[in-house]
Amino acid sequence: MIPSIEFRGVSKFFGNIIALKDISFKVFKGEITALLGDNGAGKSTLIKLLSGVHIPSEGEILLSGEPVNFKSPRQAVSAGIGTVYQDLALQPLMSVTRNFFLGREITKGLFLNMPLMNTITKKEMAKLGIDVADPTQPIGTMSGGQRQTLAIARAIYFGANVLILDEPTSALGQKQQLEVLRTIKKVKELGDIAIIFITHNDMHAKLLGDRFAFLNRGKVLAEGSRDEIDMNNLRPLMAGGAELEKLETEFSGR
Amino acid sequence: MASDERIRDIGLIRRSISRPELGSVFGLIIIVITFMTLTSISGTFGAMWLNPIGIQAWVELAAFVGILAIGASLLMIAGEFDLSMGANIALAGHSFAIFVLFGVPIELAIILTFIELAFLGFIIGVIVVRTGLPSFIVTLAFWFASRGFAVFLSQTFFNQSRLSVKANLKPPPGGGEDPTLIDNIFAFDKAFGVPFDAEVYYFIILVFIVAFITNRTPYGNWIYASGGDPVAARAVGVPVARVKISLFMISTSLACLLGILTVMTSGASDPKAGDFRELHAIAAAVIGGCALTGGYGSVVGAVLGALIFAIASRGINFVPFIDNNLFRVMLGMLILGSALLNQFLRDRIVKG
Repeated sequence: MIPSIEFRGVSKFFGNIIALKDISFKVFKGEITALLGDNGAGKSTLIKLLSGVHIPSEGEILLSGEPVNFKSPRQAVSAGIGTVYQDLALQPLMSVTRNFFLGREITKGLFLNMPLMNTITKKEMAKLGIDVADPTQPIGTMSGGQRQTLAIARAIYFGANVLILDEPTSALGQKQQLEVLRTIKKVKELGDIAIIFITHNDMHAKLLGDRFAFLNRGKVLAEGSRDEIDMNNLRPLMAGGAELEKLETEFSGR
Repeated sequence: MASDERIRDIGLIRRSISRPELGSVFGLIIIVITFMTLTSISGTFGAMWLNPIGIQAWVELAAFVGILAIGASLLMIAGEFDLSMGANIALAGHSFAIFVLFGVPIELAIILTFIELAFLGFIIGVIVVRTGLPSFIVTLAFWFASRGFAVFLSQTFFNQSRLSVKANLKPPPGGGEDPTLIDNIFAFDKAFGVPFDAEVYYFIILVFIVAFITNRTPYGNWIYASGGDPVAARAVGVPVARVKISLFMISTSLACLLGILTVMTSGASDPKAGDFRELHAIAAAVIGGCALTGGYGSVVGAVLGALIFAIASRGINFVPFIDNNLFRVMLGMLILGSALLNQFLRDRIVKG
């Protein structure tokens, strides 16, 4: 099977700073690739390479086997890469429907086709398990988890076949985290979308991940499918293996 | 789902609370009742509310301030400000008068003045968008510059600061006050046999058009999004910079309309025209529920705000036992009270 996205020896330098060095990993459709790494591991640089904000300094990114060279976020979006950022890019005072279609409104002549947009919003949200009773309500009335779902549903509706989720659970309470995990699972069940799930929560990664990639200090420490990776070893890998061991000896020597 | 019940239990009352105009609807009712009571006590009820001249007084003021408030509220929803509106009225009036005095046909002078003012709005917008300076500062600069430039031009070419164009406006063939056919179209005074100034008709038409645009077009959506969270708006493809520039152009064009109408009705351009009107328009927008932080408000609210302002402003003249200066105190309290009420209502929406 051809991977939806493949990184082949991708590096990114900012002047003398090496943000990412020789990154290689694969993402397949209908699968969740959990991308784990601590703060400063290079996760956000990696997202920006994928979403067209940055251009790789070395190596290549392949989209369904074809090398791509995004020059702008717009190009990445039209190539089917949808990014759901942590801040979600939503307008709290605007309605659910207006947020869903913001920037890509459906019109009837000059005017907004509100009934159609309301129907689509309800339908798309229902696909991910959220029943929106009244899509004309401001999203300020929705929970954090529901807003996350709205941002995901929007990305999918507008043609994302690679969905990048940037720490979707990190800013939420326990109950809402589960709600979002359930949403992500629903997206996977749609079958034709490759999901890159960026997180530093190894529990969530373990729950959902089909494949795993571990980033540490700009490098991929380990990469592979569920059976190739020692699941119990997730946490040390995330914190950067050797470093944690060092810390352990330090503490035990107390 | 549990969260579903929470959405469903929002009833009609909660729903209407989430309209930005709500505060100004209350305000208008209170102001009307207050002044109806006060005028009844003073025995001037008929003079203010029934006599055509009395009605004219506050309706025309509401229209004048209201036209500016349309621009002010659109900009505020998009998170911007235009302090130069009042000064641009004088600039437009003077530019128009100068064109006419130089022998440019009135029709062409109108078009040229609109182009000039729209271009000024474009410049203001580009400066704001490109430099990232607060529009408060940028338009404060033009608050000085526009009026200054207008008077400079008239002093240079005609050696006077007030420009009379009465002699240049030819009376229409059929008689009457309005000079030419195009003026009748443009300044349709008495067009419907009602003795209101042209502002009133333009105001009513503009309110409908703009309210429709803000609520029912993608552009209207983008205005709200540009003020609510510009970064988020850009991320989903809203052309925030272009939206803001276009709104500054709308704002200067509305000032242009008022400038030209003022010259048309009075036959002269006064360098003091529109003085302080920008603040009245902003007051109307605030009373009408616009948030200074952007992303929230409505043009209809601003229009109600302009009505409140005008009724309070003119009404005080019909109530002799209250000192005129107290009006400013009252207006100040009104703005403060409205802002507080609107903030409260807005918080209710976000917190659900």
